Amino acid sequence: MSALTDSRWLKPAVLFAYSLILLITALAFYGLIGFDGASLQTGLLTDPYILQILSFSLEQAGLSALISVALALPIARALHFMPQLWAKRAFLSLCLLSFVMPTLVLITGLVSLLGRSGIITPLLPDNFNLYGLNGILIAHVYLNTPLAVRVLSQQMGHIPDTSWRLAQQLRLSRWQQFTHVEWPAIKPSLLMLLGFIFVLCFNSFAVVLALGGGPGSTTLEVAIYQALKYDFNLSEALTLAWLQFTLAGLIFALIARMGKLNWLSADTASQRWQPGLGRNSARFHLGLYYLSWLLLLLPLLALLPTVMRVDLAKLDLPDLVSAAGYSLLLGFAAALLAMLLSWLLLLPIRSASLQHQENRRILLQWLATHTLVAPAMVLSTGLYILLLPRIDLEQWGIFWLVLINSVLLLPFVIAQLKPRVLQFDQQYGRLSANLGLSPLEQFRVIWPFIRPVAKGSFALALLLALGDVAVFSIFGDNNTMTLPWLIYGYAGSYRMAEAALASLLLLTICALLVFFFERHQTRNPNRSADNHTDQPGS
Amino acid sequence: MTETIKLSGTDAAAYQDALQKGLIVDQLEVVLDGYKLNYDLQLAAGECLAIQGRSGVGKSTLLHTLAGFEQARSGRVLWNGEDLLRLPAHQRPVSMLFQEHNLFEHLSVMTNLKLGFSEPPSRAQFEEAADALDVADQLDKFPTELSGGQRQRIGLIRTLLRPEPLILLDEPFAELDQHTRHKAALWTAVTARSQGKTLILVTHQDEDAERIADRTLELTYKG
Repeated sequence: MSALTDSRWLKPAVLFAYSLILLITALAFYGLIGFDGASLQTGLLTDPYILQILSFSLEQAGLSALISVALALPIARALHFMPQLWAKRAFLSLCLLSFVMPTLVLITGLVSLLGRSGIITPLLPDNFNLYGLNGILIAHVYLNTPLAVRVLSQQMGHIPDTSWRLAQQLRLSRWQQFTHVEWPAIKPSLLMLLGFIFVLCFNSFAVVLALGGGPGSTTLEVAIYQALKYDFNLSEALTLAWLQFTLAGLIFALIARMGKLNWLSADTASQRWQPGLGRNSARFHLGLYYLSWLLLLLPLLALLPTVMRVDLAKLDLPDLVSAAGYSLLLGFAAALLAMLLSWLLLLPIRSASLQHQENRRILLQWLATHTLVAPAMVLSTGLYILLLPRIDLEQWGIFWLVLINSVLLLPFVIAQLKPRVLQFDQQYGRLSANLGLSPLEQFRVIWPFIRPVAKGSFALALLLALGDVAVFSIFGDNNTMTLPWLIYGYAGSYRMAEAALASLLLLTICALLVFFFERHQTRNPNRSADNHTDQPGS
Repeated sequence: MTETIKLSGTDAAAYQDALQKGLIVDQLEVVLDGYKLNYDLQLAAGECLAIQGRSGVGKSTLLHTLAGFEQARSGRVLWNGEDLLRLPAHQRPVSMLFQEHNLFEHLSVMTNLKLGFSEPPSRAQFEEAADALDVADQLDKFPTELSGGQRQRIGLIRTLLRPEPLILLDEPFAELDQHTRHKAALWTAVTARSQGKTLILVTHQDEDAERIADRTLELTYKG
């Protein structure tokens, strides 16, 4: 519907938004290419060291995705088939917290738990080593299994009661119910989750930087960082960046083709009737549920004993408070900008969707969210190199810090907002067009409909921005620290107690935001919106 | 697709003039799910036409094409000499009542009523119309608190009171009981005529057509 962008100022604004995000990526690559004659070195693609890194990147991402989804499936089934589970809502919130938790907080927790002098390390086999593939997989599975649990349990919630009733009427066995009812409902989400988690782990930076051990456990993203920071080999960084961009881009394009991944929407479906589990199956699922609680809480609880060791006399509390304040300030700015850009970027995607122009929708969606596959390190470094001789980055660094962070948040914000606005268009698109609403009126009409999701998206963007390490490592100011950077600094100088305390503070802020996020995801302005939350086709 | 037209007695010259200012659907072809639908009809300005026909024959598709929600493959739709097919939906002089989803569920009934006007009618005008249709006590509620028939009448009020000259009603009384149906049909006929609206009504009920329309067009499958 052209009415969506049919205004004097909206069209240029949309064009500006698309130009901005594409220009940032283009300029970043140009920055790398343009500096000191750096060029693509195709010969590197057959270098055994690079092949080893590529192979490890693919291996850890593939394993992380497979294990995360395989673990998530039975947990999601437990949540679905046992609606009376104790603290089910709190568990879903914990899942969200685990997914958005700043990586450095998790790493601090994992080191306290499983590191060389970790709390439960004595109970583990002698040859266990957190550093290397083990640690990377543990961290990736910890971060991504909860995401998969939320997606799959939500997807199961969409199975209509009538299907379950019919399955009972037809006396289908539990296995037949799984293959005929459950599997068709979750199969698209499973495939997309595998792809999505693969891309996230393929591009993983902080986990691999902290827990990777030597060249045998390095990913492309970290290799790019090392090529830039230690070797200052721009040609190598550029080649690796293109390699990563191309591979992740191909996988991401595949995801876009597969359709929608409404991966964080509130689980508001109220199942009125579904079959229960058999006695043994129920025991297994219940056990798994409580085990999941324990595993998700352990790295967080492990922070506490380490925090107790903090020497309060030596603690620089003002540093901690100002880092928290600065993190929140940067996060707020980046999240706000990401929301504004997402809204503009979504307008032509909505038009294409309304006009059933599938290829155009996919292309626009890819462009709008391509930063999911553009390495954050490359974006930051490329722009830094390009801007350094031209702009006073001491003064303007914060602007670029916010801008790059907000661009990196776009895939997540758009994934959150898109299903709801498309639902609005599907339900009310024709009515809006027939009423000839102005852009302002359109916004006033759609806002109450999307308000809970919009607020939740903002909180999510803020949470993700709070965890940034990669962009701050390039554009950050050493005099004004963010909390993750402070944690990184403490951990780097073996001040684990301070690192744990800072992590606990960051975790508390994140937990409060998750509370806010969940409240707004499930609370709607009136019951009518509730009625339609889970009925995209209505 | 063939048509049966019952013309009311009208002065021929004046009617020809009104036809020129009215709606001319000229060799319109729409393809829906692989099926070709063809339409040819003329409607004088200020005239009320009822369209009837079996389910699936393309009645709603015609309204949706006139309103700009379905693409025509060929043909013309002239309104006052201007081809509407060249205009996007939101610029057409059309006010349409859909079979469903006529109200934003998350906005109050009164807010819904005021949408789509550059200068909305006064609350008193809405109340008067709502009173005539027995929904005066529903104006401050949310659509979810209303029955299907009440929603339909609220949608009908807004559709008729909007300034657009061409009104399209897609089964407007489907959810109403006999008594309310009678009342709503009369209100529609009186309001449309008093405001000089040109109206197309899709209905399965002969009595709706008789109460509102000047003539009836029956859409049928070709061949």
